[in-house]
Amino acid sequence: MFTEELKAFRRLGFRHVLLQALNFASVIASGLMIWKGLGLITNSESPIVVVLSGSMEPAFYRGDLLFLTNPAAERYHNGDITVYKVPGADIPIVHRVLETHDGKSRGSSPVVQRLLTKGDNNEVNDIELYRGLDYLERKHIVGKVRGFLPYIGYVTIAMNDFPQLKYALLGGLGLLALVQRE
Amino acid sequence: SPPSPDRPPGPLSLPPLPGPREVVKVNNYSTTELKNACDDAVKRYLSRPELFQQNHQHTDVRLALGWLSVFVAGGTGLYGYKVEFEQSKPVVWSNFVRRTDRSFSRYMLLTFTQTLYSYFIEGDIVFVGKRKTFSKRIITERITLSSRTIPVSSSSSNSTPSSTITPPQYSLSLSYVRSTSANKSLLAKGKTQARAPYSRFFDAEGGMDADAFERWVGEVVEEGMGGLPASKES
Repeated sequence: MFTEELKAFRRLGFRHVLLQALNFASVIASGLMIWKGLGLITNSESPIVVVLSGSMEPAFYRGDLLFLTNPAAERYHNGDITVYKVPGADIPIVHRVLETHDGKSRGSSPVVQRLLTKGDNNEVNDIELYRGLDYLERKHIVGKVRGFLPYIGYVTIAMNDFPQLKYALLGGLGLLALVQRE
Repeated sequence: SPPSPDRPPGPLSLPPLPGPREVVKVNNYSTTELKNACDDAVKRYLSRPELFQQNHQHTDVRLALGWLSVFVAGGTGLYGYKVEFEQSKPVVWSNFVRRTDRSFSRYMLLTFTQTLYSYFIEGDIVFVGKRKTFSKRIITERITLSSRTIPVSSSSSNSTPSSTITPPQYSLSLSYVRSTSANKSLLAKGKTQARAPYSRFFDAEGGMDADAFERWVGEVVEEGMGGLPASKES
């Protein structure tokens, strides 16, 4: 299957192999930079997230893709759906803001707020999820949900549950980039 | 015009390489593959030791800029991964954002430079070569070849209802300068352009007729060098 490509590599020399490897590497690099750029524009460390649990039903279901922004100068209000990360936990949580307590703005942060959240489908608020904290601060918030796409997130869930799928996809893309010469 | 007496040997005067040639096979329906195969053949043909020495500057600049931007992106990714992993306290935003900001703009600058270089400076060029020959005095030759694909075109004339379709063609442009070393005096200068349909060099299965293609390229180069010598070996 690869004899044609291997023959071509031997014939065309080392520079050509470097060029083809560059093709592959720059696809990955530009994907990474687009993600980082998106994070910079939205001021959010992870502007696109996947809903993993059913705690926000019927608004969001498991597998939905959420789009977030986190403008530093905007205050969040009751009813906003936010994604936050409690320090010490590595899974971000998508819940609705139940209470906000506004503070005076300090030098480094333009907006000072303390937030309490609760999932729509949960019985109680999130205090038990805060791992010792009594409230969330703005620095824990990854962003506020601005839009969503249903079902798309299942691709990410599948790739997390079956890592072979992830490697197969990456390997296939890599192979394609190495032998194509567009 | 008759060629000057101290004209260095052109590619057609060289004997063909001994031994069997490997046949290049491409997908006939992809003009990209056809053009790439022709470009590769041009490079192979003209960088024979008796002919020109290829100047790899364009390729090297593209490789350097490209790999540099890959490393900048990789560094950004690694930094982002490490910084968040090490913090069990909330992420220190300002430092992360500033560093990411800077490397993001460095990446954009590199990509932008790459695009500009490739579009304006490199353009269609596929081969840049130089040769020094010694005959009475040192003669330096510089040759640059660019190529592009002329897509399928159909020309319909008003008188006849049917239209003639020309298959995709390979257009080769060449600029050639011959001077004494240190460019003291110009001996010859030429610019030629030729085009031929791909169907002339590729058979139905996509196998490339390298000899026919090299003969055609040789003719274009000889024309650019200033006419063919008096005795031509066929």
